[in-house]
Amino acid sequence: MTEFTLEVAERHWLSEETFEIRFVRPPGFDYLPGQKVGFVDGAARRDYTMLGPVAAGHLSFCVRLVPGGRFSPKLAAARRGDRFAVTAPFGFFTFAPSPRQAVWVATGTGIAPFVAFVRAGVRGFDLLHGVRSPRGLYYREELARAGRRYRPCISGPLPDDYDGPSPFGGRVGDGLRAGWPPGDYDFYLCGRGEMIRDLLAIIDSRYEGAHVHTERFY
Amino acid sequence: MKIYTQTGDRGKTGLLSGERVAKDNARIQAYGDVDELNAVIGALAASLGTEDDRLREQLEAIQSDLMHAGAWLAATPESASRAQLHPVTDAHCRALEAAIDHLQNQLPELRSFVLPGGHPRAAWAHLARTVCRRAERWVVHLMQQPQSGGPAADDLGTIIAYINRLSDYFFVLARHLNHQAGTGDRLWRP
Ligand SMILES: Cc1cc2nc3c(=O)[nH]c(=O)nc-3n(C[C@H](O)[C@H](O)[C@H](O)COP(=O)(O)OP(=O)(O)OC[C@H]3O[C@@H](n4cnc5c(N)ncnc54)[C@H](O)[C@@H]3O)c2cc1C
Repeated sequence: MTEFTLEVAERHWLSEETFEIRFVRPPGFDYLPGQKVGFVDGAARRDYTMLGPVAAGHLSFCVRLVPGGRFSPKLAAARRGDRFAVTAPFGFFTFAPSPRQAVWVATGTGIAPFVAFVRAGVRGFDLLHGVRSPRGLYYREELARAGRRYRPCISGPLPDDYDGPSPFGGRVGDGLRAGWPPGDYDFYLCGRGEMIRDLLAIIDSRYEGAHVHTERFY
Repeated sequence: MKIYTQTGDRGKTGLLSGERVAKDNARIQAYGDVDELNAVIGALAASLGTEDDRLREQLEAIQSDLMHAGAWLAATPESASRAQLHPVTDAHCRALEAAIDHLQNQLPELRSFVLPGGHPRAAWAHLARTVCRRAERWVVHLMQQPQSGGPAADDLGTIIAYINRLSDYFFVLARHLNHQAGTGDRLWRP
């Protein structure tokens, strides 16, 4: 199953719990924006989505360190030159242009495929990013510039110095209901399984005829 | 990764191309049957002895073809998702025909109906044949449906041809396995 070896080039922290890690792009490694690779760790495998741009000389990932997790701590502790075995890129969570308005919904690091879409030139989307605190709004400026609408959904308390786009509170489902009237949409949902489940229930009852693409991280 | 999605509890499910449809939608029936067929082939492969490596490989190749066919059926014809998929081709059908001829040439001519069964492996092959027939009926039904989002009929002719050959393949394979096991054909004596 292992097809490529990735060598760590660089890693930096985006917040206390999330970092971006870059690898040297091996020859022959081609992927579509939104695809992922599986990192092989003994008998286990953990998938991570490339951030793009697809033509870059490096491969970047946005990874949340799951305390006590099996694999993400290994990535968090990796140093330049360390090597990791990965599968070939795969997956169907890719962007398909359509006449319907694209609405992207992410929780946490589920933002990764959307960053890849933007870096591949997709514009005019609506984006709802669910996070606990504004520090989790990674790639905010890049995404806000490219989108038609960019709305954070912040479930935790808002710090006094918050100066970002006007956020929804609570769960992303509430944000979706509040911000998107019934209409013709292509939904792309990425992140927590619970969020995907909640949103599918809302979509099935409120947005008749919508198309839905989902990518569940955990 | 958890495999239960809990998203299908309201009777709807999602196609690969993004549409939300009822679970009894013809497209879901069609790829559901292809999935069932694949599972039966898996059971057949699992029942083979170590001496049957070649047959096991052949069955695995068919399982892989059926994965592609299932994904194809799970995406609507005009969707962008189809561009990412591998269609079943005439070459796949030809390969099956060659396999059928190869098995058939080693078997005595048949002058009566056979009863499904015999050796357990042959019984699995007969079950695969019947699931194949059902899958074929659903894919034919699907091909005759107007498509959501446009009037274009879905051209599923090659998949139908493939599944049709596949049921013939499982018929001769069932006979082959019964002959190999010394069971011979179980002829129907009405
Ligand atoms: C298709 C796909 C793409 C993915 N892409 C990314 C990505 O780009 N970036 C990324 O950080 N993760 C991504 N993941 C999640 C990743 O594969 C791992 O599950 C995650 O890093 C935890 O692995 P672990 O071995 O450290 O933890 P494990 O030992 O597997 O422990 C898992 C525990 O952590 C929880 N958990 C898993 N992921 C998260 C998370 N992101 N945030 C909070 N809790 C979590 C689980 O619910 C579980 O309780 C993706 C998963 C899939 C299926």
